[in-house]
Amino acid sequence: MFSERERERYKRQMMLFGDEGQVQLKKAHIFVAGAGGLGSPVAIYLAAAGIGTLTLVDRDVVERSNLNRQILHYDRDTGRKKTESAEEKLCAINPDIRIRTIDTTIEEKNAADLVGKADGIVDAMDNYPARYLLNTVALRKKIPLFHGAICGFYGQATTIVPGQTACLACIFPKAPPEEVLPVVGVTPGIIGMVQATEVLKYLLKSGELLTNRLFIWDGMQAHAEEISMERNPRCTACGPLCEIQGDET
Amino acid sequence: MKVKVRFFARFRELLGTELIAEVAEETTLPDLIKQVAQKNIEGHNAIFDERGHFREYVILMRNARRIDLADAEKNIVDDGDDIAVFPPVAGG
Repeated sequence: MFSERERERYKRQMMLFGDEGQVQLKKAHIFVAGAGGLGSPVAIYLAAAGIGTLTLVDRDVVERSNLNRQILHYDRDTGRKKTESAEEKLCAINPDIRIRTIDTTIEEKNAADLVGKADGIVDAMDNYPARYLLNTVALRKKIPLFHGAICGFYGQATTIVPGQTACLACIFPKAPPEEVLPVVGVTPGIIGMVQATEVLKYLLKSGELLTNRLFIWDGMQAHAEEISMERNPRCTACGPLCEIQGDET
Repeated sequence: MKVKVRFFARFRELLGTELIAEVAEETTLPDLIKQVAQKNIEGHNAIFDERGHFREYVILMRNARRIDLADAEKNIVDDGDDIAVFPPVAGG
């Protein structure tokens, strides 16, 4: 299952979860929606940890104003497709995994196909309409959605397990207005690490997931807290009144 | 009667992290938050619309339980209540 090179690469973490855990990571396929502020640290750490297949989707070109936080992209990548820049870095970090990148916009018509047979979705988007689409796809496919969002020194994260936990629309039934938000790179770094840790725990089936709990981080106060969440029986995305059909594909 | 009100993210920047409010008996949840938010008009307007209703994306928690915005008026605050008010954070 593992080459000598892989055994050496993963030696220190296999002390934590053994061959068996590493096999679970290698067999997994995680979909990372967005290769920006959150997507960068999430993808880097999931690649380094040895997630067997990572799919990254982004439609944008690297701009210099992205570089304070989108650490997959370097100054020399300005003007280049984010997917291309991300693929190059992730393959260099870990050549023993499969990196798939798709340069497109996530929309209602293509979201389910893009996610394909992935085992989980990382929400690294920057807007709620796209997040609600991912939420619906996660519910239909019965796969987890690892949510994260940031603004300035503030961030939030939660893990959604369809059928068991509040979904994104239970927690945030209405989207806030869209605006250009201030942000410094350390915040998506912290929230991205919470999301990546959740992915690993989910795949390893160990620890307590951040389910029905909204993790809230205030970097200025160096203070984290959590708020309990529960399913909304009237939820328009996962409530009994809506018709989510299991995805057969 | 004393009630704790905590703000998060943008609301925190405008209104402060945590306040202990002295309120009269029979104060409703919206009235409590209006009272506390009065000190900063920008903070008030971030939470309430022109008609004085909660903006639709505002999230309200009372003693760690979610309060539906539609039911906020029916909530009469009690001594020692812990109220949290926050907006969804959107960036990525």
